Amino acid sequence: MRIIFSLALVFGSVLLADIKAVKTTTDLSKTLPADSVWKDIPKEPVNLVAQYMVNPKPKVNHTPLIEVQAIHDGQWIAFRLTWKADSKSEAGKTGQFSDAVAMQFPVKEGSPPPIFMGMKGNPVHIFHWRAQYQKDEEKGKPEMKDLYPNMNPDMYPMEFKDSGHVKGLNAEKREVYSPGKASGNPQSYQKNSAVDEIVAEGFGSSSVIENKMSRGHGVYDPKQKTWTVVISRPLVRPNGSVLKPGQNGFMAFAVWQGAKQEVGSRKAITPNWVSLQILGPT
Amino acid sequence: MAKVKNWHLGRDMEYVYEENRPKRQWSIVFDLNKCIGCQTCSMACKTTWTSGKGQESMFWNNVETKPWGSYPLGWDVKVLEKLGHQEWKKHEPYRGKTIFEAAEPTETTVHFFPTDEDWMYPNNGEDDCTGNVSHGTHLNLPHDQWFFYLPRTCAHCTYPACLAACPRKAIYKRPEDGIVLIDQSRCKGYGECVRSCPYKKSMYNPYTRTSEKCIGCYPAVEQGYQPMCVQNCIGKIRVMGFINPPWKARKDNPVDYLVHQMGLALPYYPQLGLEPNIYYIPPIHANREYLTQMFGPKVDDAIKQYKKIKDDPRTQGLLVLLGSTDRIMHSFDVKHGVAYGYDEKGDEIVSVPVIEHSYERPRYDSKYEAVRNNTP
Repeated sequence: MRIIFSLALVFGSVLLADIKAVKTTTDLSKTLPADSVWKDIPKEPVNLVAQYMVNPKPKVNHTPLIEVQAIHDGQWIAFRLTWKADSKSEAGKTGQFSDAVAMQFPVKEGSPPPIFMGMKGNPVHIFHWRAQYQKDEEKGKPEMKDLYPNMNPDMYPMEFKDSGHVKGLNAEKREVYSPGKASGNPQSYQKNSAVDEIVAEGFGSSSVIENKMSRGHGVYDPKQKTWTVVISRPLVRPNGSVLKPGQNGFMAFAVWQGAKQEVGSRKAITPNWVSLQILGPT
Repeated sequence: MAKVKNWHLGRDMEYVYEENRPKRQWSIVFDLNKCIGCQTCSMACKTTWTSGKGQESMFWNNVETKPWGSYPLGWDVKVLEKLGHQEWKKHEPYRGKTIFEAAEPTETTVHFFPTDEDWMYPNNGEDDCTGNVSHGTHLNLPHDQWFFYLPRTCAHCTYPACLAACPRKAIYKRPEDGIVLIDQSRCKGYGECVRSCPYKKSMYNPYTRTSEKCIGCYPAVEQGYQPMCVQNCIGKIRVMGFINPPWKARKDNPVDYLVHQMGLALPYYPQLGLEPNIYYIPPIHANREYLTQMFGPKVDDAIKQYKKIKDDPRTQGLLVLLGSTDRIMHSFDVKHGVAYGYDEKGDEIVSVPVIEHSYERPRYDSKYEAVRNNTP
């Protein structure tokens, strides 16, 4: 199987699915999974495989299929993604990982870079939705008491103050006690959007870029055991990927099942670029 | 996979990256015969580095009672069980597999992920003896019932499993001192390092959502000072210095002397294949099979050597230098009953008499016509 995929990389994309983004007049900047606009949009099945290129790899493919719907309004393009998940996982404690989905687009026009997160000089632009980030957006970043309600720490030195000389530390000095924050790691701050925008030039090189536009919202249906996530992005993202009506482009997907300990390179992926046609007048 | 030289094993082994030894290598030697399990090192580290949110159960330095104690719970037995039975014959290279060599094709190492609760009981098994001491038992050597304290920091391994397993390459080994660090600005908290470090010295912080670990007190080390856990050791059981590989060993380097010259101090669980850089002088009265499993087949020679120290003023001198200075000793000497420690430039930073002067006074003081006794 590995040989076939490698050949596909060499000889160009074997297109396993064909996603068509239909033009609509509805404003898509704030669309949600349950909106009526999605009702008549066909679902395109996209097959995923267990990530097979770098270690660690998942032993089992937990997400063989993701269904994709796409629409655009001339300014925004929205994708509605549906996949099966036995349970919902929003991470939090040690050893818990979040359900997540990502869409990847080439940054440069022409033939796309290697599907495995691009290459040096030929980057990819990724929209990474996490259930954990959505929880941040909705409820704020969890405090230790939210994660461990029965925990009873004696005293945090950065919060200590008394009525006399010890006045407590300002926000900047308190950050020293959280190395991730003090180093400016986006991971350690509250997420104000459920979607991280990322640029990568190969495996392990991803870095978060400032995200002020793209949005995402997911709903888990415990009866159907299904996640439905909508990610909307502007068609044109300066310094990122640019999509145009009338264009035949490419995209790719990845899904992480948090409850199955999937995180990082333990994920299901599209082994090849998927065709993306943006219908409508140019 | 690259072939790299692992002198702990006496052979080449497989590792993800090429061999790339640092200019010098941070290292600590612990004399387990002297550790009293006071946990002052644990608290020195805790108050310096891990008093923040998400670090409540995090001990970069911990002391556990062997065999029953462990932090996180059962880390050692779990990794040995995962690795499976391996052979190591005395005076031969290790022929078994390391955690890199025994890994499944889809993984970098043989590993396990401790549960959240596993980290919450750092004092588990503390002071527990191997079994009950029944009536009529008398003292035997090695002891029939035994325990010893095992203080542990990150070993800043020559072949770190955490570094090998990080898919983001957010972990690096500093060329100037061999200290292994997790780049806090790039870590995404995947936990692969927590999973892969067999010693379980990478820890997840659920508040910052990144993994953290012992930083070898690099800000102190950069200024020529030993880490906080070493500086604050009440029992004076440990010394931090820079270890050379055996082919570059120097007799006047305190760590090289204890490890290479005398063969007194041994790496723990060397069979895992990481070439860890914390070394232990084994506790001589504990069960020998257990010690062999933990320190490898050289443990018999190390204990023999330890028993000869009573006739060896140079080694005695070095052992009294342990805990006698906060500075890093780059070399030492023992002459005329005094042990000297020197800094990198060769300037003296400490001197200690090898044997404390004592004076025995006669029982009867004729001048004051008084009888002396030891009543305080």
